[in-house]
Amino acid sequence: MFYEKFKKWIAIAELALALVFAPILIAQGRKMIQVKGSDTMINLVQILAEEYMNANPKATPIAVLGGGSGTGITALINSTCDIADHSRDFNVKEFNQAWERGVKPRVFAIAVDGLSIVVNEKNPLNRLTMDQVGAIYRGDVKNWRAFGGPAMPISLYGRQSNSGTYTFLQEHVLKNKNYSPDVKEMNGNAQIIEGVLADEAGVGYVGVGYVVDKATGKPMKGLKVLDISKDEKSEATSPMDKEAVDTGKYPIARALWQSTNGKPGSDVAAFIQFELGPEGQKIVEREGFYPLGAKYNEANAKNLK
Amino acid sequence: MKTGTMKKAAVLAAFAILTASGLSAQTPTPPPQTFSTTIYFDYSFWATNNGYLTNTDPAVNINPLTNKFAFRRAYFTYENKISADLKFRFRLDADNTGRLTATSGTKDDRLVPFVKHIYLDWAGLLPNSSLKIGMTETLAFKTAEDRWGLRSVAKTLVDGYKDITGADIRASSADLGVNLTGAITKELRYGAMVMNGEGYSHPELNKYKKFGGFLQVVPIPGLNFWGYAEYEKLSDKPEAAKMVKADCYFDMIPGLNITGEWFKYNSDQKYNKVQQDDGTGTGTMISVNRHFDVSGFSIFSTYKIIPDTLAIFARYDGYQPDSTDSAKNLSLIIAGLDWAPIHSSWKIQPNVWIYNYKDSAKKSDVIVNVTFFLSF
Repeated sequence: MFYEKFKKWIAIAELALALVFAPILIAQGRKMIQVKGSDTMINLVQILAEEYMNANPKATPIAVLGGGSGTGITALINSTCDIADHSRDFNVKEFNQAWERGVKPRVFAIAVDGLSIVVNEKNPLNRLTMDQVGAIYRGDVKNWRAFGGPAMPISLYGRQSNSGTYTFLQEHVLKNKNYSPDVKEMNGNAQIIEGVLADEAGVGYVGVGYVVDKATGKPMKGLKVLDISKDEKSEATSPMDKEAVDTGKYPIARALWQSTNGKPGSDVAAFIQFELGPEGQKIVEREGFYPLGAKYNEANAKNLK
Repeated sequence: MKTGTMKKAAVLAAFAILTASGLSAQTPTPPPQTFSTTIYFDYSFWATNNGYLTNTDPAVNINPLTNKFAFRRAYFTYENKISADLKFRFRLDADNTGRLTATSGTKDDRLVPFVKHIYLDWAGLLPNSSLKIGMTETLAFKTAEDRWGLRSVAKTLVDGYKDITGADIRASSADLGVNLTGAITKELRYGAMVMNGEGYSHPELNKYKKFGGFLQVVPIPGLNFWGYAEYEKLSDKPEAAKMVKADCYFDMIPGLNITGEWFKYNSDQKYNKVQQDDGTGTGTMISVNRHFDVSGFSIFSTYKIIPDTLAIFARYDGYQPDSTDSAKNLSLIIAGLDWAPIHSSWKIQPNVWIYNYKDSAKKSDVIVNVTFFLSF
């Protein structure tokens, strides 16, 4: 009788209790720092996270996912990650969305990358200009013979449009023109390397951290990293030349970024500080990327405050 | 040329052509294409037994479904990014309203897919803009739907109004026509549309079009004011359907969204229809010869406790389906959890719906649902 009379309110009370306590209990058990984004950065950030957790066993666990820079930035805007990895800047649309959703991105450079143009080692070419790389990827030039190479149709390997590297190359090398429809769109840097290794006529673009054989410190067997010059008159340099990347002589160098929504909380800030500190930067170098210079360190310190 | 040499040359030429075509066939030129599916269904049970909708008295309800599994929706979407500026979308939808009668004359309640979206989306007309041409989303409640983000649990106020109150308002989530949305600055966005007016479920029935537009102002990060108006002439007489809607979105605390929306709709008297009150909430629609406004408001909040894993939500809706008869007013409270125990492609969303009626003869209803959401 009593139950029948108050059945509705008992059900509501049960649900209210569940709504209040279940999230708290689950949240306590599952709190994690979520990092999402750039596929160029995923290996590096995974290793940084592992080493950070090894050094700080009581620290908040970190989950690192890829998906591309666009995916990471969208996740930050939608509050579904704590840190977005991105190898390009926010575009206007993303910046507007962030404003609309109350997200105030704080940006940290964690490493420097020399974006590498790679070919199969059987390709006799050693260098290209920025314009030539642009012409290749726009599809304006379709045969290696045009650059003094073998008479072979150029086989293009690239990334999907959610990749920051795709956008960076389009903006800085293709002069904002469209990619050739012949580009084979691969899921990540490692797949591009695999494609070029198996294809004598292949050309690809990847982060410098993916071209180095960690054991020898040289390019992977079967792969050639081309020297790139700004134009015909400039000196062509290699993305594996640290000084050339640092001084800007290598023309397609870029920073690899992480963004948080506003000032990072203490657990996120602790991880970023580790990445930017001597231990983190040593890992950056070990993984084939370049540590940060004074210019970036100053901006990072300001953003952490 | 000798016959043998000619034959050899022909064979070589044929081989060369075949090889070349084979090579070009091996050279993939795929535009980025995606296929995706979203499905949701409920297990629901009545927590009340004498409510307006949830009455277990055999005299009122011969076969009350006090608990049931109910399939709600399945979307199948194909998207093709043709170039940096041009996208194509094709979406099939199957919902629980699908009803067919088989050729044998027997009733067939299997889900029936229909075309919900089929449009081109071009970003090249104006800077930071999107021009959609075809059967596209309408502008009236898409922004609020994006904020709510829980269509698997409930539609937003205007979209779900007819389901809740029976009021016949001409507002559809998709329609055939053209719409343009974009941002002028980070503080100011706009949208304009010209549509058929019949929605996705009917062909055009008159020569008149539905015009709608919104302006959205974001003075500071996370604080949004959104205003919308639409107009549709319905016949050669001075008869038109009009709607105004105003929303406010508060997103200034990470993970927390609070939204308020209000709307008012009216059409001229010939088109005003009401649901006959047969005591079950499923009465037929009849025309009435009087003018009235339809209005409502909704306040909802979602909070992401663990990104991609756990969120909590609550909502309060007020419905005034007939401005000349306040006894028809009702309110609805919805609250629940959005939980992805393993992956965000599989969610469990326990939620409760509490209906309260202005008419004291109608007792409150409490329905508890466990919604299963799958996306892959």
